[in-house]
Amino acid sequence: MIRRLPLRILGAGLLLVAVLVGLVIFESRARTAGREVVLAMEAVDPRSLLTGHYVSLRLTQGLPTGQRCPPRTQPISEGGWLALRATGGQHRFVGAAPTREAAKAFGGDVLVKGGVYCSRMAIGDAGAKAEAVTLDIGVDRFHAAQAEAEAMEKVLQRRVGDDAAPAFAVVSVGDDGRARLKGVILDGKRTDLSWW
Amino acid sequence: MAGYKARLERDLDRWIEDGLVPVRNREAMLASVADGRRVDASVALAVIGALLLGVAAVAFVAANWDVIPRLARFGLILSVFLAVVGAASWFSKDGTRPILTNTLLSVAALIYAGAIGLTGQIFDIAGDPQRALRSAGLAAGLLALAGRSSGAGVAALALICLGEFAGGFDKEESRWLIFAAPVGMALAWLWNSKPLAHASSVALIIGLIAVLALYEQTWGASGLVAGGVVLGLLAGAARQLSDRRTAVIFFLWFVWGALALFAVGGFDDLKGAYLIAHRAAWLVVAGGVIALGMHDRQGMVTAAGVVAIIAGVCTILFDLGLGLMTAAGLFAACALIALAAGFLTRGRRVKA
Repeated sequence: MIRRLPLRILGAGLLLVAVLVGLVIFESRARTAGREVVLAMEAVDPRSLLTGHYVSLRLTQGLPTGQRCPPRTQPISEGGWLALRATGGQHRFVGAAPTREAAKAFGGDVLVKGGVYCSRMAIGDAGAKAEAVTLDIGVDRFHAAQAEAEAMEKVLQRRVGDDAAPAFAVVSVGDDGRARLKGVILDGKRTDLSWW
Repeated sequence: MAGYKARLERDLDRWIEDGLVPVRNREAMLASVADGRRVDASVALAVIGALLLGVAAVAFVAANWDVIPRLARFGLILSVFLAVVGAASWFSKDGTRPILTNTLLSVAALIYAGAIGLTGQIFDIAGDPQRALRSAGLAAGLLALAGRSSGAGVAALALICLGEFAGGFDKEESRWLIFAAPVGMALAWLWNSKPLAHASSVALIIGLIAVLALYEQTWGASGLVAGGVVLGLLAGAARQLSDRRTAVIFFLWFVWGALALFAVGGFDDLKGAYLIAHRAAWLVVAGGVIALGMHDRQGMVTAAGVVAIIAGVCTILFDLGLGLMTAAGLFAACALIALAAGFLTRGRRVKA
């Protein structure tokens, strides 16, 4: 029993390392293989954007005239689906449903697992209110080195107000409908996640 | 603090002096009692030193985290984990350093838990905190089984317990702790491990509460009362099972858990005759537990009964709608009685 103990311990350790390496490789492959989707994002609160070395992302987009908010908040934990449609270089929300089949009915070209909630956003000097949706697809932060994260925060802060700088999250949506962050686009500059 | 062998040595000398035991039997009798395993100062200092070295290494890496490439960071984490596991494997070779092996495997379990989080951060893998904690718990469980490590077993239960509360606890989610705790209890029994016995007993109580929370809407307070009864039955089973320390630990914790669940279960929904029956049962059970604790000479069981009876009396006073000042006076009186009882019990034990 005692003689086999060192081998058992070593075997368990190697198995656990293999699991972690396998997870990274699997996620990396799934990220590469998935369909790329570009979603608008905004600053949550310029003062609390950074916690440690990551940038908080909130995927909020205004709804075009005539499109109404979903009638109810759909938390991501419900396992529902969102339909997205490519429009003008980015993907826009077109509908939410509890099942993939039901989400297909909205006519989107990408279906992603996630939740959605409705909010109102101010537009223009008059402060007119328009309906907007915030998508929760499990992507809510982008880890970066401190200097890089601070630079990103500055760009995101400039988005507050009318003179909004373009900021997008680039995500990969796999066949299973799961979204994985690939990178961000800030001021036209794309920063991709890499092994380095 | 003198161990059993030291106490036996003193007693033997006294018995030999009194002519109760022949002097020629002294050495044979002492040789038949094994020396208790002791953690001497050098081992304790070595363990503390190893832990501090680990903290220093972590702080150094954290200070330079940004300048280390992603892949190198990942390699660093895996290397640290493998180094600790390798050290545990090395020191387990001849079985003479079980404490060091156990400590290293516990540290490895915690490093792996951190590695899961850091891997997610390094490669921006979005993950569910509950799944991450449960995975870390399973990994710690694997290390515990592989190396017969009670420390890693305790870490496994703690991580699975944290996972139980990560994310929406109120939602209808799966429960793991109620299944993990009995495994921990079985291992504590097999390995005769006191820390694991404590951890798994507490885990079972928390796991039971987590399961009851799932059905709170349906069962209401009766679920808690039923949970208290289940723990009471388990306490009885543990008491009957054996006099081994592991069984005694199960017994103590289940008595406390049973009383707590039974008491809390009677706060909300009960009305009229059910309320009176609950309060009466509370007092009877608490009195029974005091008697049982005194019979078995288990101070912690007696203490559980005393606390339960004080809490029961106070609850009944509140039920009757007594003023705060009256209740405060009665609380104080109960507290004084409990202190006096504790003082007397301690005095008797010292004399014995």
